[in-house]
Amino acid sequence: MPAPVIELRNVRKSFITPGGETVAVLDIDSFSVEQGEQCALEGQSGSGKSTLLNVVSGIMRPDAGSVFIDGRDIARFDEASRDRVRADSLGLVFQQFNLLPGFTALENVLVAMSFGSSQPDRGRAASLLAAVGLGHRLDHKPAELSVGQQQRVAVARSLANRPRVVLADEPTASIDTAHQQQVIELLRETCRAEGAALLVVTHDRSVAEQFPRRIRLEDFNRAARSHVTQARPA
Amino acid sequence: MTLLGIAWRNIRQRLLTSILTALSLALGVALVVATLVTGGIVNKAFESGSGLGYNMIVGAKGSPLQLVLNSVYFISRPIENVSWAFYQEFLPAASRPDGVDGKFAASTATAVPICMGDYFRGHRVVGTNAAFFNRLTRGDGQPFVFAAGKNFGDGDFFGGVLGASVASNLGLKVGDAFAPTHGADDGAVHDPFKVVGILARTDTPIDRGVFVNMEGFYLQDGHAKPLSEGETAEPAAAAHPSGHVPLPATQREVTAILLETASLPGLPAELMAMGLRTAINEGRDGQAALPVAEIRQLLDLFVRPLELLLLLVTALVVLVSAIGILVSMVGSSLERSRDVAIMRALGARRSQVLTTVLIEALLLAVGGGLAGWLLGHLLVGAIGPWISTNAGVSASVFSASPVAEALLVPFLILLAIAAALLPAIAAYRTDVAKWLQGPG
Repeated sequence: MPAPVIELRNVRKSFITPGGETVAVLDIDSFSVEQGEQCALEGQSGSGKSTLLNVVSGIMRPDAGSVFIDGRDIARFDEASRDRVRADSLGLVFQQFNLLPGFTALENVLVAMSFGSSQPDRGRAASLLAAVGLGHRLDHKPAELSVGQQQRVAVARSLANRPRVVLADEPTASIDTAHQQQVIELLRETCRAEGAALLVVTHDRSVAEQFPRRIRLEDFNRAARSHVTQARPA
Repeated sequence: MTLLGIAWRNIRQRLLTSILTALSLALGVALVVATLVTGGIVNKAFESGSGLGYNMIVGAKGSPLQLVLNSVYFISRPIENVSWAFYQEFLPAASRPDGVDGKFAASTATAVPICMGDYFRGHRVVGTNAAFFNRLTRGDGQPFVFAAGKNFGDGDFFGGVLGASVASNLGLKVGDAFAPTHGADDGAVHDPFKVVGILARTDTPIDRGVFVNMEGFYLQDGHAKPLSEGETAEPAAAAHPSGHVPLPATQREVTAILLETASLPGLPAELMAMGLRTAINEGRDGQAALPVAEIRQLLDLFVRPLELLLLLVTALVVLVSAIGILVSMVGSSLERSRDVAIMRALGARRSQVLTTVLIEALLLAVGGGLAGWLLGHLLVGAIGPWISTNAGVSASVFSASPVAEALLVPFLILLAIAAALLPAIAAYRTDVAKWLQGPG
């Protein structure tokens, strides 16, 4: 059986508040996503969703535990090596799209390619944008695109370096209801076509229901359970 | 897309700020280049005038520098005149009425007298003899070349030769008449002289001179030395075949004598020159100055420090421009932080974002620097005609100060790095998680 593309073992992450108090955000014994798998990770606000994505993507290092990406424990890597893993093996889609405003749609995809191991491929960037229905908008800057189109560029960009897994953080939160379904379908289709696993973090049940696997963060993150419990009125 | 491409995109994204930043740097660099080039031109102006085929100037006692500036560069006022008899001490027997070698004749290869004090429409009038153009050289060891006409003959009392700038500025040609004025441009008008020759450009002060036959010069009102008490007027000399009667020797003076010292077998020329100089300076009739030494001293004492000061001021202008780059880049750091965070999230390493910011600053600095370099040369080109007219040296777009200008490139690179260091470090330290934080 092939190794999971994402595997977390005994991961702990906590922060120190300005008041000096240590707050545990992640306390996960085990979590994994298999190759090509598509799953939705549900969680309430403050449950540690963003921190989990930051740890999985190597932006943050856990205080303890292992984070395997495609079989490599990036928790043991230095920052530059984690950056390289993120560039080569992971695709990121953000809630606010986070496109570079001064760059065209095509350039936004090409920029992502610049940081990977392979050479930027203009043809592939154009065909990815064509695949998300923006073949006619290659030279448009983000401000010249609709919100939905911007998220499509972000989807195309996440696949620029043929990642093993795409991490999407609330990808439909900034999109009107009518287009949410389209974006999720687009994400699922393009990831399937590219052979990438997909982990979508959402608090929206209707989004999560479209995925074959749904996981609640609170179910495997003990720190989230305690936060949620504290947050709920007695 | 390369890091260079990303940096270029960042510049285009903030186009107006980038243009203004580069422009301010360009203006600073243009000033530096213009200062360097004109400084070089000034040096060339002085150095070119220090090798005109003579190595010593003899004139009235006073400031040797004033003697050199007046005689070689036609600037400053003449000190005084020296006597005709003193001038004759440099002439060989054949050129003297008494048929005896002058006291300094053995040490003299060439002695050319010049008389000054008149002007023609802002240009110095120099009375001299035909030897000036026949025996002296134009600075590079080459004989004078006439663009039109020829040198005046010694018997051509009212013949004149014009420097290239004078002819072109005043639109005079061979055959035209011109009347110098006494003492100043608004002084008494003298008899007219006729242009018999126009010199080819020499890029020396000669280009600014109006040269007339000193025999005609002497015959103008106020040019004959008044007889002192008890001195009797010398009988008038026989008329020249031209019909003019030369001024008697007792009433003649010269402003300076341009000397080429002789060299004797076994005796170094420098030693001969030093010996002659000492002999003249010990006497009461006049002083001898070495133009090369005087000019070198002038350059070292005044021109170079002044040039350095000017360069310092313009360097400060460039520094202010560099601070402009820093302000511009720091000002856009908020916007940049988000972009950097996005790039970092996409997998850019810290070193890559740092490099991108440095490249951005380098592009601004080098772009602004090149524009400034071009602008500086255009500036020199624009004031070139004025420099040529007033300094007697050519100045064009292509005039250059190669070594100093070559140093501009590493200087600009260092400047760009210095200006970009803070923003680059800020980019390097950007907290990705903080900038991209979403809910949850």
